[in-house]
Amino acid sequence: MSKNIINGKTLQMLREKIESGLLPQWVLSDPDMYELELEKIFGRTWQFLAHESELPEPGCFVTRWIVNDPVLVTKTKSGEIKAFLNSCTHRGTHLCAADYGKQKSFTCPYHGWTFNLEGKLIGVALGDKVYGEEMKKEEWDLRPIPKIGVYQGMIFGNLDPDAMPLEDYLGNMKWYFDILLARSDGGMEVKGVPQRWVVQANWKVTSENFEADPYHVQMTHRSAKELGIAPKDPFFPGYGHQVVLENGHGINVITADATGRSPFPFQGMPESMWPMFERNLTSEQLELMRNAIVFVGGVFPNLGFISFSAPPLEGETNIYNYLNFRVWRPLGPDKVEVWSWFTIDKAAPEEYKEKSYLSYLGTFGPSGILEQDDAEIWARIAQASGGLMARDKELSYNNVLNYLMGLDRVEPDETFPGPGVAYPICFLDAVSRNMHKYWLELLIKDHSIAEGVYR
Amino acid sequence: MNPELQFDITNFLHHEAYLLDHRRYKEWLDLLADDLVYRMPARITTEGKHNEPNIMNEMTFFEETKKSLITRVKRLDTPSAWAEYSGPRQRHFISNIYIESSPKSGEYQVRSYFLYQRCRGSDLDIEQLHGERVDVLRKENGKWKIASRTIYPDQTVLRLINLSMFL
Repeated sequence: MSKNIINGKTLQMLREKIESGLLPQWVLSDPDMYELELEKIFGRTWQFLAHESELPEPGCFVTRWIVNDPVLVTKTKSGEIKAFLNSCTHRGTHLCAADYGKQKSFTCPYHGWTFNLEGKLIGVALGDKVYGEEMKKEEWDLRPIPKIGVYQGMIFGNLDPDAMPLEDYLGNMKWYFDILLARSDGGMEVKGVPQRWVVQANWKVTSENFEADPYHVQMTHRSAKELGIAPKDPFFPGYGHQVVLENGHGINVITADATGRSPFPFQGMPESMWPMFERNLTSEQLELMRNAIVFVGGVFPNLGFISFSAPPLEGETNIYNYLNFRVWRPLGPDKVEVWSWFTIDKAAPEEYKEKSYLSYLGTFGPSGILEQDDAEIWARIAQASGGLMARDKELSYNNVLNYLMGLDRVEPDETFPGPGVAYPICFLDAVSRNMHKYWLELLIKDHSIAEGVYR
Repeated sequence: MNPELQFDITNFLHHEAYLLDHRRYKEWLDLLADDLVYRMPARITTEGKHNEPNIMNEMTFFEETKKSLITRVKRLDTPSAWAEYSGPRQRHFISNIYIESSPKSGEYQVRSYFLYQRCRGSDLDIEQLHGERVDVLRKENGKWKIASRTIYPDQTVLRLINLSMFL
């Protein structure tokens, strides 16, 4: 019986394991753990909702999800970004079912209550005739997402009214986001809509894959090497720095080889844009951007990103850079809906943008030759983690996963120009261990393990 | 409509489906014209009339040329294309084939419905995608070639773990 309860003892055991570089496999498949995560992780962390370029004008809106909460993000008449629970305050109907659009108001199809872009209830069907004093209209506006924050065009929401400000939460990640999002005039823009598809995987697996795991590239993406698209060097992409950031975030700043110099400066961005980068970035940021060939990382818990450069699958030798954002929306312990945004510098030449888009589709879109194999592996983890042996909480079968790489051995590189704890190698589990630590911290927050039963 | 032409094109599309299902990709590539345009725009949900197409041409799932499809086929030949290792069993069900007016002489615009299903490994779930294709077919040296294909999926959120297949 005790096997199936997540209590203080279980969490204490998790802490001990995580500190020694191990993660019990049951946390990937346990339904109780999943429920706990929804509340303690997704109910309290900043969740990426949209990029400002998806809402170019007043009246524009997009609909999104924070796990199971439908969210309506609007741009008001005055240009302010607002976000609401996308559910009518009268009977709870899903208010706006469109993915995006532009309009002045939202009318509920059930009884016809109408809300404006500010979330105000502006129309009640037959209001005066059917409601008397029992209803004060101003008390029935759309329910706002408790906290909204925007950083460099990235719009986040938080369901926790007591959450720390977005900027504090992002912390050191802001310095790296500035490189990726604010290097060129006008910032980045989203093309079209995010692609969406469903993968049989635990959200921690997908998050870790982007945020913390360049080690998988040499095997999972070996076909790219065999095609002659990726370098033959088996150590690629271990070169560079893995950087541990606060609040569970992390980034890998990958270089082409041990020299730390890039054969294609600024990830292959057009030379005409380089002076712009020089103007918008500090000398330390510029140096990093000049030399890195890939930036890949994540904002805890489930926003991943990769700044990648590839040739379109045309046999073309020129490479084109793009920035891909991912939300791994949990749909269950073994299922995620992937939301994948293609973004590119607004200031990039149009022809370059088009080629970048083709590079993205060929590599990291759901048809991309790199993406395809990732999803296959994630699904295999879910397949192998649902049984009695993998799910045993007493670890009778030694069912722990290995996060030992570099533990107590690899020392930080003090000369690295960026903030955070930077290790001089990307084949490392430092960011993963950091994610697990923060994950556990959130799970046990406001609860005393000593009291015993946790739930 | 010319029944012989209808029969000819129907046969061609059924044969193509057979080649794809049996992973005879090199033979499939031979059916594609050198100037092929092959794309699959995203399906979206918008406010508005029911007869609006709800298609987002700006974002696609595939945006391919013959050259890029050759690269994709080459990748499947490598020993480490895990998504297709071992190859999922797949079926392309092609129906409702209708020849529309030919925009250029010698080229025919052909509409068809597709239902794509596959099983991966010993998964119990069947992955599937369905929708409509609009092809432009032309005869080159007496043989049909696909000059362009636009694939309109019905799903906004794809219930497939990847798009490693050709549609």
